Amino acid sequence: MISYISKPIIEIFEVIKGVVFLFLGILYWIFFGPFKKKFVRIESIFYQMRFAGIRSSPIVFFVTFFTGVVLAMQTAYQLEKLGAAIYVASLVAISLCRELSPVLTALVVAGRVGSAISAELGSMKVTEQIEALDTMAINPVRFLAAPRFLALFFMLPCLTILGNLSGMLGGFLVGVGSLDLNPYLYIQTTFKYLELKDIYTGLTKSFAFAMIIALIACYEGLNAKGGAEGVGKATTRSVVISFILIILADCVLTGIFYFSRM
Amino acid sequence: MIKERPKEVVISLRNVSKSFGGRKIIDNVSLDIYCGETFVIMGCSGSGKSTLLRLITGAIKPDEGHILIKGKDTVEIDAEELDEIRKSFGMLFQYSALLDSLTVEENVALPLKEHTKLDKNIIRIIVKMKLSMVGLRGFENYYPSQISGGMRKRVGLARAIALDPEIVFYDEPTSGLDPVVGGVIGKLVMDLSKKLLITSVVVTHDMQSVFRIADRVAMIHKGSVVQTGTSQEIKNSEDPYVKQFINGLPEGPIDFFKEDIGIFEEFS
Repeated sequence: MISYISKPIIEIFEVIKGVVFLFLGILYWIFFGPFKKKFVRIESIFYQMRFAGIRSSPIVFFVTFFTGVVLAMQTAYQLEKLGAAIYVASLVAISLCRELSPVLTALVVAGRVGSAISAELGSMKVTEQIEALDTMAINPVRFLAAPRFLALFFMLPCLTILGNLSGMLGGFLVGVGSLDLNPYLYIQTTFKYLELKDIYTGLTKSFAFAMIIALIACYEGLNAKGGAEGVGKATTRSVVISFILIILADCVLTGIFYFSRM
Repeated sequence: MIKERPKEVVISLRNVSKSFGGRKIIDNVSLDIYCGETFVIMGCSGSGKSTLLRLITGAIKPDEGHILIKGKDTVEIDAEELDEIRKSFGMLFQYSALLDSLTVEENVALPLKEHTKLDKNIIRIIVKMKLSMVGLRGFENYYPSQISGGMRKRVGLARAIALDPEIVFYDEPTSGLDPVVGGVIGKLVMDLSKKLLITSVVVTHDMQSVFRIADRVAMIHKGSVVQTGTSQEIKNSEDPYVKQFINGLPEGPIDFFKEDIGIFEEFS
């Protein structure tokens, strides 16, 4: 009976320990590695940035654009009754920048990039490629995890900015096209109410989400075991854990921003 | 005597034990491997011979005992010193373990790029030399998935000797290959140790290659050393375990059906 309860708890602590150690390892190689002439490979970072960032932009654009469209229609449904349809502009902009764009972008990237990282590192692990790197005195954290971490850390906020813009574009098209709002007035209202802090709180979140996605994906990949099935499990776990942690972190960060009046 | 060799111990195992999931895989093993020799560790699958190799390379740490490579105790030194020692050895993995995302050339060049400050062009030349040693010139731009298993093994060998190591470890170098390619790999192993005076440690259960390449042989059963000796001594051994193993007999002291061979080793 006790083992039924204690086993998952022990496993959770193992995962937390592993992720923390991985995080410290990545920080070590980024900040202290260069002093020992051991660099995180630049070309590898750029390759990952292209994969994680540029190749993700179409789907991020797609998701946030239609979120903007839907958001504009749903809020207009209520605001039109009050004769305040013009506030669709500010509502769409603020809710996208503060909340929807960072979270949706992170979820999309966790599904697309996080799963790819886990699957790639996982199959490298089960085919002894990670052990081969170790035996060649090439640290897998420096060689594989650090470039992916850095790439996501820089690209997810960029994708979030893209999400902000495309979502606002979606809202703008609905506002101007079907709510008959004046385009000039729509843009003016958007920027009247949208403050800089709305954007940077959203971006702060996306930095945190990027770390979550990269760490969980790399941890699950590097600790995969048991052949093809193990790789599948690691990939699933990576996406599920990332989703849960993104939502949790979003809640905590929103709470912090709200109570500190940011 | 097969050849003159300096009797200097490069690898020394002292009372090494290792357990997985409460089951002892390696039980109090002591071995000495001399400079320049080809040392073969043979045994049934699940006897712990691959685990022994991973203990020597430092991939896993023993529960008890000491492993000395060139006089340094790899159990007690930190990761950085272990990496220094690792730069002086190469390893050929059972399934080659080439990086899928890199071409043949990039795979062989990887240790050179990481551990030397050589110019790109010089690295290219070294890679071409190493590839021609294993007979694979002209395959530089192929990916590991585009070449056959035997070729992958030879690329793995080229990578293992890229840094001109003093010691090369071979994990089942001939398994999964047809007899001819297996013979080619065996010949390459011998050539390397004769031409470059490399100390070779080979783990295998392929009896054909054992006597062809070995200077000395250790037979492992259930995590313990049954017998160590020159290949001639092993051939003429009266030990019932060794006799059964080299003749491949189903009946004998190695009882296949009564033991759960290697389950823990596979999952660890």
